[in-house]
Amino acid sequence: MSTKDSRPHIKAVDDPSDAAAQVFYQKREKIYVREVHGLFALLRVAAVVVLLGLYYGLPWLQWDGRQALLFDLPARKFYIFDLVLWPQDFFYLAVLLIIAALSLFFFTALAGRLWCGYACPQTVWTEIFMWIERKIEGDRPKQMKLDKLPWNREKVLKKGGKHLAWLALAGWTGFTFVGYFTPIIELGDRLLAFELGPWETFWIIFYGFATYGNAGWMREQVCLYMCPYARFQSAMFDDNTLIISYDENRGEPRGSRKKGADPDTLGLGDCIDCTMCVQVCPTGIDIRDGLQYECIGCAACIDVCDDVMDRMGYPKGLIRYTTEKALQGESTRVLRPRVLIYAALLLVVSAGLVYSISQRTPLELDIIRDRTGLYRETSQGLVENVYTLKIVNMDEEAHVYRLSVEGLEGLEVNNVETDIRVPGGEVYTLPMSLAVDPVVLDQASNTVYFTLQAVDDPSIVVVQKGRFVGPVGP
Amino acid sequence: MVIAVLWPGFLVAGVATVLVFTLIDPVEVMECMGWSGLDRLGLYSIGFFFFWVLSSGSSAATCYFQKPCGAVNRKPAARS
Repeated sequence: MSTKDSRPHIKAVDDPSDAAAQVFYQKREKIYVREVHGLFALLRVAAVVVLLGLYYGLPWLQWDGRQALLFDLPARKFYIFDLVLWPQDFFYLAVLLIIAALSLFFFTALAGRLWCGYACPQTVWTEIFMWIERKIEGDRPKQMKLDKLPWNREKVLKKGGKHLAWLALAGWTGFTFVGYFTPIIELGDRLLAFELGPWETFWIIFYGFATYGNAGWMREQVCLYMCPYARFQSAMFDDNTLIISYDENRGEPRGSRKKGADPDTLGLGDCIDCTMCVQVCPTGIDIRDGLQYECIGCAACIDVCDDVMDRMGYPKGLIRYTTEKALQGESTRVLRPRVLIYAALLLVVSAGLVYSISQRTPLELDIIRDRTGLYRETSQGLVENVYTLKIVNMDEEAHVYRLSVEGLEGLEVNNVETDIRVPGGEVYTLPMSLAVDPVVLDQASNTVYFTLQAVDDPSIVVVQKGRFVGPVGP
Repeated sequence: MVIAVLWPGFLVAGVATVLVFTLIDPVEVMECMGWSGLDRLGLYSIGFFFFWVLSSGSSAATCYFQKPCGAVNRKPAARS
């Protein structure tokens, strides 16, 4: 049986003019993936259950009478359990992205494409879509047979059933996705009553369709042609990185043989050339050709080869997690500068994020100077500046604040009530003015400090710098 | 080729949408311009597609200019 025909034909090119001749995206030839059992298959299933469980389950979790995890775009607030983030907290999101990138570097340097093999949404949804496909159409040989059949009743029922099941799951995925951005319980009620808004409907269909297309149809094509990480992950590899590799020294020369035959007398290595490793590969490559860009590190070939080795009575591990160094007979260094640097950076940035969130003040003060004039003189001969203060109470509870302004001698604060009450999660606009005797001004532009402090919780305090403009000094 | 243009555009549009709408509240912009009638979700969505069109345009231009200059001078293929 020839299994190589289904492989994508991506050849390494050295000459850029050859590279130009390669297409950006090649039409997919379907890869029939054989089901596999074993340790790593179990790990992958566990990852699928945990990750999809989190994805589908988390939006339904309630916390203090609201959705625990809600990225409320219409209200411009992110709820993450007890934490409520505002657009002003964008910094945290940026740090979170840096942490994600560093983690990816760290794990890639340590053990290759762990992310791709076990945790990437593309892998996880492809797994579940392939599981549905196997439940309805059967395993690899049955799928191949079905595809060759003319369109009869059985084929229509099986294919139709598969696509219906895929679409149902994809629709649910889209609904869940939108449920992260609008409260999912209300969204469900509106869905059942056919009262969804046009944009909610659109995004459910868009995301659902993307899931159906990516996990049902495109699968490994996404990894090969569309994934940015797959393109540069090899830059993070070195000789000590754990990769999935075929032990050429042990396996070659490969060849089929009868069970129980002595490979030494036949002049053969341990590889019986059963092509099972190719049949289980979700990207359709032959791992025996060496480390390839297409390999997403799912370890399916390890499981299936171990199984074959067991049946032949050979030791396991002809294909295994190993390093280039180990394959060359040298010892592997796990703790090397690259890994230590990534780990240290990861620790420092993570600790910084946790610290800064714990020190976060749920209060923001924006000072906007009146645009109509720089200053004006009052009837008492004072110089007056007008401001609009925006007080953002980022806490969930109401607070009473007191404002004080310092920086100039004898500064008068006008139009400000002693107790400023701002309900939880609201923005309070306060027009006010400052006045001062011009004799204390020795320059045109002076710095003043606005201090806003919560009366009920003195730890909630912000100090903002503002500008007070007057005539050039006396 | 269509995917090679639309896909990078999609990625960049996603980033642009997050960055721009973190800094700017589209509802306030609409108020300043005196327009109304769309909620934030709608404005975010339109913004995203607007960025997608722009960034895909840039991708398409890259593909277009990738054609070697010599190819422009190429003689028309002789009819058989």
